[in-house]
Amino acid sequence: MDFEFSEDQTMIIDSARKFLEKECPKEKVRELKEDEKGYDPDTWNKMVEMGWMGLIFPEEYEGTGMDFFDLMILMEEMGRNLLPGPFFSTVALCSLPILEFGSSDQKKEILPKIAYGEKIWTLALTETSATYEPSGVALQATLDGDYVLEGTKLFVPYANIADYMLVVARTSDKADPKEGITVFIVDAKSPGIKTEVIPTAAHDKQCEVIFDKVKVSKGNILGEPDNGWDIVEFIIQRASVLKSAEMLGGAQTALNMGNDYAKERVQFDKPIGSFQAIQHKLAKMLIDVEGLRFLVYEAAWKTSIGSQSALLNSIVKAKANEVFQRTCLESIKVHGAIGFTEELDLGLFFLRTKASEFALGDTGFHRERIAQELESYKPSFLS
Amino acid sequence: MDFKFGEKEGKLRKEIREFAKKELPPNWLSVMFEEEHRDEDWEFAMSISKKLSEKGWLTMSWPEEYGGKGASLWEQLAYSEEASYWGIPGTTMGVGGVDWVGPSLMMFGTDELKKKHLPLIASGDADGVWCTGYSEPNAGSDFASIRTRAVRDGDEYVINGQKIWTSAAHRSRWCWLAVKTDIDAPKKHKGISVFAVDMKTEGITVRPLLNYVGYHIFNEVFFDDVRVPATNLVGEENRGWYQLMHSLGYERGSVAGRGYGYNKRILDELIMYCRENHLFDEPAIRNGLADLSIEIETQKMLAYETIYKMSKGGVPIYEPSRDKVFNDHILEHMAFIGTGILGGYAQIDPMNRKSRWSKLKGCIENLYWLFPGISLAAGTDEVELNIIGQYGLNLPKSY
Repeated sequence: MDFEFSEDQTMIIDSARKFLEKECPKEKVRELKEDEKGYDPDTWNKMVEMGWMGLIFPEEYEGTGMDFFDLMILMEEMGRNLLPGPFFSTVALCSLPILEFGSSDQKKEILPKIAYGEKIWTLALTETSATYEPSGVALQATLDGDYVLEGTKLFVPYANIADYMLVVARTSDKADPKEGITVFIVDAKSPGIKTEVIPTAAHDKQCEVIFDKVKVSKGNILGEPDNGWDIVEFIIQRASVLKSAEMLGGAQTALNMGNDYAKERVQFDKPIGSFQAIQHKLAKMLIDVEGLRFLVYEAAWKTSIGSQSALLNSIVKAKANEVFQRTCLESIKVHGAIGFTEELDLGLFFLRTKASEFALGDTGFHRERIAQELESYKPSFLS
Repeated sequence: MDFKFGEKEGKLRKEIREFAKKELPPNWLSVMFEEEHRDEDWEFAMSISKKLSEKGWLTMSWPEEYGGKGASLWEQLAYSEEASYWGIPGTTMGVGGVDWVGPSLMMFGTDELKKKHLPLIASGDADGVWCTGYSEPNAGSDFASIRTRAVRDGDEYVINGQKIWTSAAHRSRWCWLAVKTDIDAPKKHKGISVFAVDMKTEGITVRPLLNYVGYHIFNEVFFDDVRVPATNLVGEENRGWYQLMHSLGYERGSVAGRGYGYNKRILDELIMYCRENHLFDEPAIRNGLADLSIEIETQKMLAYETIYKMSKGGVPIYEPSRDKVFNDHILEHMAFIGTGILGGYAQIDPMNRKSRWSKLKGCIENLYWLFPGISLAAGTDEVELNIIGQYGLNLPKSY
């Protein structure tokens, strides 16, 4: 058992924290909310120089060969600072499944360009049913020489600036909705694609993407046709853990802000943190955030050693959903009226809660997955 | 980061499982606190203590020179987890014998006290069973306000006063007793001392306090001119507060692993009950079980982190409080969800768990009726939250 970061990991944390504090102050976060692109290409290039894009690619794809745990650490730091941009969509949602399921040609073609920050990617999975269940995949891909994609994807992050998308489509109708799904590699500039930014509260550039008879060649399939749900399942599990790490970072900042304010703010001639009503609230927030922290670390560690657990991954995301929301909310309450203003940074974190919660499955979705696992697991006392 | 246990712990877990299967009745499911109540249960618990002692597990954390095995904190954790999961009774030697009386004696006791008491506790015999006398009618959370006094008289101290909520006093041979030795101390926590008191001494009266279910777990203990040899003073006179702060740390460090093992077992029982009774079809029950698994997995990691800090030689200050508050939360939540699952059957009196209508050996009802008491023992949640605020968040003292 070892709860400490390695030297390399400590370096990632230190350099990421310094970098993000400098490159991504909250004025920048506010600016980017109103920015059409929603990210800063200058910051993006610096992230490339730091090796973040290909952090866990092997060297043959121009990566630095670190592991999943290291990537998780980076996500936590990004969450602490609310870094806006297509890092998550490119690296977590697309590069990981390509690395796992891509053909050797696909990997050679795609991954170095991601590592060099040349191409921005996103995942087009959810639709108007707004669910991560396989039944939610309705966008049709019909084979007619090439495949022709017809339908609408919703909540596609950063599709407004993406160069490529992984598009999850239905290629045949089977009794089990998990069957008959195919993942396509699609040039975002293909004729017939129309993208429009959805006005989300977080201004985080989630898009509606309409596919109007979009042609995709047969060679641009990730994995095998009709067996794409395995890839989606892989994405949901890996990206849930990474999203949870980002939410952990956000929750930690929200707790720190509340705690700092409770020491500064004086009422009835005392810092409000000396009142138990406030102090106990903060103590409970600490229990929440530390609990989430070690769960995220456990899941990321298991993934990085190749013993990932679907049960644990869902436990982590369900916990992250609740803790991020609750910590922001309680911190706002500790702040009082100032917590409710545009001026205080805390609101920026709170505005992310709904987007983060929905991403890769809300609490109900993951609770249901946990329950399914429990239905079939064998308790030790029966062994 | 690396969250694997070593081979040693794995082997130990296996041995404990085998022990549980061999020594406990078939389908055994422990019911919290029951061992102190009935004579037959107490005798069974003590017979298991003896066997645990023979295995070398009872005091495995102690150094070899004192009858222990010098087991690592991780082995201890694996032992507490498994023992709780399998419901092995008799692991504590009363309240505190193993967890803090022994370790405190090693740190602060005279050679005479060590030689006398450590082998008794380690043997698993009735003469090594302890109760702990801290709380008084007017000193609960505000422990430093105790009034029971010890006055030096030649080679003896004369003790007068009253303790309350003293768990297992009716089963104990010895009392780990906190008293005031200096009532004029400028700060009230500076006049406290600790004594090892033989419960058979003249002048001690134990009066049962029943809880609302009818269990006899705790007691009032009266001290009326009780004469204790001066050699039974543990550590220095008037330094008791500091010594207790140390030993409380041991107690709290032991809570997390036990809590996790116990909670995991109850959750597993509930899952199997729901499967057998087709209750997984109900969305509220699915959600309830999912929520409990989230919490219990979280508890595991928090518990391990506390032990990790201790294993690195640190003295975790707020972490044990964090873990205790979280355990109390789980117990409450599990009691609500569990009784919800049992529905009408949750009404059965846990004292009559042999009733043919009692489900899961009454462990759920038992949890429901007892969790309010458990959450108070060794510090209320509010006191623990104060510790987290002060030491985990560096907030000003709030009381």
